[in-house]
Amino acid sequence: MKKLQYIVLIAVTLLLSSCNTDDDGFYNNVFADIPNLVAINAHPAVYTVGEKLYISADFSRYLNDGALLDIFQTTGATQFAFSYVIEKQINATTWDIVSVSDSQLDIVKGDAQNGSYVYGICEYNSVDETYEYRVGFPLLAAGTYRLSFGYNSSSNNSVELRSLSPATRLILNINSLVSGLNTDGYYNFTVN
Amino acid sequence: MKKLFCLFFLLSLASQAQENTVLASKKNEFRVDVLSALVYTKASLSYERFIGKDWSTGFNVNFSNSNKLNEDFINGYRNNVPKFEFNPYVRYALSKSKSRYYFAEVFGSYNGGDYKEIIRITDMALPDYYTTKKSKYTDFGLGGSLGYKMYFKDSIALEFLVGFGSNLTNKKKSPDVISRVGLNLGYRF
Repeated sequence: MKKLQYIVLIAVTLLLSSCNTDDDGFYNNVFADIPNLVAINAHPAVYTVGEKLYISADFSRYLNDGALLDIFQTTGATQFAFSYVIEKQINATTWDIVSVSDSQLDIVKGDAQNGSYVYGICEYNSVDETYEYRVGFPLLAAGTYRLSFGYNSSSNNSVELRSLSPATRLILNINSLVSGLNTDGYYNFTVN
Repeated sequence: MKKLFCLFFLLSLASQAQENTVLASKKNEFRVDVLSALVYTKASLSYERFIGKDWSTGFNVNFSNSNKLNEDFINGYRNNVPKFEFNPYVRYALSKSKSRYYFAEVFGSYNGGDYKEIIRITDMALPDYYTTKKSKYTDFGLGGSLGYKMYFKDSIALEFLVGFGSNLTNKKKSPDVISRVGLNLGYRF
């Protein structure tokens, strides 16, 4: 019986020692840092009710991350996705996510879906070989608002774009600095 | 009653002694791993040579072509996929009985398969791009196993084995851990 206990002990030790492995994970992801691919459209920080806040992207398939990189050949993707959140201030410490229906979004280029955040999709334009996005978010009530790109990323001053690559192709994750954000990662604005 | 019990006990000892003698005279054994064949689409064959009262040695060869592993490899959930292993081993019987016993083994492993890595293609005339490059890997590993074996009709072996080891020389490309798990059916002669 004691021998059996030793055997079980050795077996458990072997099993536990085998847990320390880095064999699993994802091996089809590539990462790059390329600034200013997504922009908040230039506008004074005061809007009027009924106006729209536009977010745009228009970047080439050839991007410079130290050397020129062909992101279309890398991924085969005709879409890059990113996300952002618009919140309205309720009181000094509380912000509520502003949600509108998809049909209320002004989709000029690309595609977007709105839920607890806006899921934006940059579409590839094969004519000029660029990825394009321009979507307006309706500002329906007066108040103090803020916009951030950090919903699906750990960074607060950049947006993470992820290629929607065909199966078996590489997925490119681009971390892109966004201009106009404060140190906490917010674009603050007012609607009157 | 006491006499009957003693008789039964002696008969049992005699029978085991006879089994041990019969098995001891058979020095060779071939096995096939039923579990690996059914679950992992892996052909796994083993040979064992009994060289003393408690010791034996042998080798195991296996070839794998698992659809699940191949799909995970293609989809990027793993960067290597084992294709073959050659595992020489030395075993020590932990029980006195030769017909049913626990054993411990130390094994070596020469193993190989496919490896995939992401590389950046740089051509001064054209923009760079990333792609995957497939190549072959081989590695050497060491490990240990524990198992239980039983014989039927003095020749038919049923063996359960669990073991793990580590690759040693090419861990960047090969799997860190090599495992030896099997349910083997064998013939001893």
